[in-house]
Amino acid sequence: MNALAARTNTTPGTAQGPPPRRRTALVPTVTLLLGALYCLLPVAWVVIAATKSGRELFSTFTFLPGSGFADNLRDLNTYRDGVYWRWMGNSALYAGLGALLSTAVSACGGYALAVYRFRGRETVFNILLAGVLMPPVILAVPQYLLLAEADLTDSYVSVLLPLVLSPYGVYLSRIYAAAAVPADVVEAGRMDGAGEWRIFTRVALPMMVPGLVTVFLFQFVAVWNNFLLPYIMLSDDEKFPITLGLYTLLEQGANTPALYTLVITGAFLAVVPLIALFLVVQRFWSLDLLSGAVKS
Amino acid sequence: MPNTKRVRLVATSVAVALGAGALAGCGSSGGDSGTDSGPVSLTYWSWAPGMDKVVDLWNEGPGKKERITVTVKKQASGDTLVTKILTAHKAKKAPDLVQAEYQALPTLVSNDALADISKDVGDAKGRFAEGVWQQTTLGTDAVYAVPQDIGPMMFYYRADLFEKYGLEVPTTWDEFAQTARDLKKKDPDKALTTFSANDSGLFAGLAQQAGARWWTTSGDRWKVAVDDAATRKVATFWGGLVKEGAIDNQPMYTPAWNKALNTGKQIAWVSAVWAPGTLTTAAPDTQGKWAMAPLPQWSASENVTGSWGGSSTAVTTDSRHKAAAAKFAAWLNTDGTALNALAKESGIYPASTSAQLSGAFLNPPEYFANQADFYTRAAEIAKTTAPSAWGPNVNVAYTSFKDAFGAAAKNRSDFVAALNTVQEDTVADMEKQGFEVVR
Amino acid sequence: MRNAPYGFLLPPAVLFVLFFALPIGYAVWLSFRKVRVSGLGLGSGARTEVWAGLQNYTEALTGGELLHGALRVLGYGCIVVPVMLGLALLFALMLDTEKVRLASFTRLTIFLPYAVPGVVAALLWGFLYLPDVSPFSYLLGELHLPWPDLLDGGPLYLALSNIAVWGGTGFNMIVIYTALRAVPAEVYEAAKLDGCSPLQIALRIKIPMVAPSLVLTFFFSIIATLQVFNEPTTLKPLTNSVSTTWSPLMKVYQDAFGRGDIHAAAAEAVLVALATLVLSFGFLRAANRRSRQEGAR
Repeated sequence: MNALAARTNTTPGTAQGPPPRRRTALVPTVTLLLGALYCLLPVAWVVIAATKSGRELFSTFTFLPGSGFADNLRDLNTYRDGVYWRWMGNSALYAGLGALLSTAVSACGGYALAVYRFRGRETVFNILLAGVLMPPVILAVPQYLLLAEADLTDSYVSVLLPLVLSPYGVYLSRIYAAAAVPADVVEAGRMDGAGEWRIFTRVALPMMVPGLVTVFLFQFVAVWNNFLLPYIMLSDDEKFPITLGLYTLLEQGANTPALYTLVITGAFLAVVPLIALFLVVQRFWSLDLLSGAVKS
Repeated sequence: MPNTKRVRLVATSVAVALGAGALAGCGSSGGDSGTDSGPVSLTYWSWAPGMDKVVDLWNEGPGKKERITVTVKKQASGDTLVTKILTAHKAKKAPDLVQAEYQALPTLVSNDALADISKDVGDAKGRFAEGVWQQTTLGTDAVYAVPQDIGPMMFYYRADLFEKYGLEVPTTWDEFAQTARDLKKKDPDKALTTFSANDSGLFAGLAQQAGARWWTTSGDRWKVAVDDAATRKVATFWGGLVKEGAIDNQPMYTPAWNKALNTGKQIAWVSAVWAPGTLTTAAPDTQGKWAMAPLPQWSASENVTGSWGGSSTAVTTDSRHKAAAAKFAAWLNTDGTALNALAKESGIYPASTSAQLSGAFLNPPEYFANQADFYTRAAEIAKTTAPSAWGPNVNVAYTSFKDAFGAAAKNRSDFVAALNTVQEDTVADMEKQGFEVVR
Repeated sequence: MRNAPYGFLLPPAVLFVLFFALPIGYAVWLSFRKVRVSGLGLGSGARTEVWAGLQNYTEALTGGELLHGALRVLGYGCIVVPVMLGLALLFALMLDTEKVRLASFTRLTIFLPYAVPGVVAALLWGFLYLPDVSPFSYLLGELHLPWPDLLDGGPLYLALSNIAVWGGTGFNMIVIYTALRAVPAEVYEAAKLDGCSPLQIALRIKIPMVAPSLVLTFFFSIIATLQVFNEPTTLKPLTNSVSTTWSPLMKVYQDAFGRGDIHAAAAEAVLVALATLVLSFGFLRAANRRSRQEGAR
């Protein structure tokens, strides 16, 4: 990845070129701001609710900030010796490593399907796609039973592995590879005597970066928010991801009321790493890798 | 118990297996015998908060002596936990001990997930009310769990608002209906309470109070009577109140419901002994304004309540140390220190009768500080709990209830028709599985 | 070079077999079986798994609930898919416009709902939809306007669709936007020199260029719609109008995890998968044929 990043940084972003005039495009900006407002309003509720104390949550005006954020944070921090942070770490591990592996696998598969013409290409592609037809809800139990055969349940691996292959990621990679990796570039690589693997890693991968970061982002969020698979697989709450951990705070039996304020504050904090990830990832969308690579 | 004998005669395989289960419980079969002498390590799935701290008392006390270490793996409560246990059991990977609600026990036993621990729980039986203990035996000679907490039902109301509107605390359901109507007349914006279909346990408890016995056995057949006369009476009663608009028809546990309780839009709640905890979250501004009374009765001469909630500790058939696990389960739910810790750390209301008036229960819950005798009265009410009769597919009946009564409450339509749907669904499911069912 | 594509496809193929094909096969196998109880069904050996043939399938098809759920979901999909994808395309094109301000802020914000975990979604929408606590209902009340009951009848579909559109637009926007970024800038320069307006560039060049991504988003939106689960499950605790079997997948979930009948659930899941197969791959095939025809022209 490092070599790749270094390479991309050396190709200057010639994106849309310097605009001739510095006037704001009004219609697009306003449209986007309206869209942002629509999307932000419910999210704002999570932020505001995280500041409310248990007393204020159900009794004050919905969008009125409360006074309990510091207390909520402290309660969350001390809840069972800070197990929340452990869940956060677990989620980061599942989502980070899972998305990385998933992106690598998607890149391989998508590249092969986009660049090569071989017998059974469409069949392979369709079979991979068909994997999403069976609802994941029903697959969790068989996946559990199969991993139990290998004695892998209740382990980090049991949550990581089933999510590595993402048909969505493969499809996306195929489309982006088809658009971003011109056949003549691959052909030129072969003329130079480069092996297929070398062409893939040195020439094609850098061109696919914008698409691959998208795959990574999607897969990261998908694993981060995944619930049912870890629910079935894990019994040890030290291995729980954040979604499952927060769920145990909501469902503590009738004797103990749900810890709403902890759950909301926890959910709010759990969105922060996703925002950070997005901010990092979106830098890669603005690189015009295609033209840079063709020129070099 | 003639019933069990017949089962054993009819299905020999079952008989052999039941016998084997009991033997395994004694520690004389399988891997149990040799291991009990050495150090034993057990896992325990529980959703109760603070359970790890209670278990620490065992690990540092009696557990240390017996060289039995228990590790809690905290879970989320709910119906899906039963599926999770059964899925794990299918792979022979269920934990040694599980927390299970009473109505889930027949389902778990029916899937052969729970071990018979009758030989290992000693004199535990005497610590519990008859009706509570019977839920763990399913009417057989076996014992499948040790009761942990119970949820005897009670009537909660806003004492200040009852006074303001000149309402009397209802002692019968007729008075309850009249109270609801009186309140509507005095203030149409308010409602005494709501009929909520999103927790079937509430309705099951109300039916239980009226004398319903939904699942019973006769010979080796199940008798399903979800639509028996007692339950029909309860359904007609609540359906009538919803239809005439005397009470609300929106579900409980929503932000709107919390607000209704907090602002006095709803001024009473038919609930169970654990209600103070829920009210603390839902209606924080009205602390000290509520009072608890026994559930209204069907006739003035009666004194009986139902139960809503409550759970037990069970040992799974996958455990390789069943005797040790049973020993722990018995300690957890009968030992004074353990029960005190459970009350303090997990906020449970103990099933053990002696614990109901000791230690943690000398003072009322904080939310009910104004009602000094809260737990004394609670213990008296708990004694009047009607026996319950659970069957192997309570989950099916509960799901069907949520949908049928949810729709009926929304449309303010016939509750008895909805009840018939629940009965039909429950019977159909059992017949599909191959149970012989008497209606 | 001949074997190269197979080498690249090996990792996804192995994972596919292990975590898709095998569990799917197992689920299909389960769908043809059922549990048989003897006697009271208590104790070990009382339950045996037996061959059920097509019984689970006929029951799922004749039970009515699954079909009703499918109809509800089709109605819901007719709102969600066009609105969500229309907005996603619109936003993506706007983001790709020159001189647009605050692009990275709006891009992040529109994507953000996708990151809100389902665990809090029910609370969130409860606070926004239920008239007693909703700030919007409060505002309308101040203006002496009535607040519609969003959780019943026709408005329920709008309430559900709103959650889906809110959560999914950003995701699809990013897919389309990423594709737009892959279009070489030279293409636009040429069009601009020819005197094309930004709108013309968008309609004549950009949309055809990202057609494969639009097909992809459509394909997966059809699947997501037929397998809709989160949105109605989110609203279920708030209202009596959403039953536990409102959508086909809720029925699957309910049978598997509520009723503990994995066999019936597996059969229903297979039926849902088949319906999804027909609709989604039918669409894909039609889309491919069209693009091929256009390519031939």
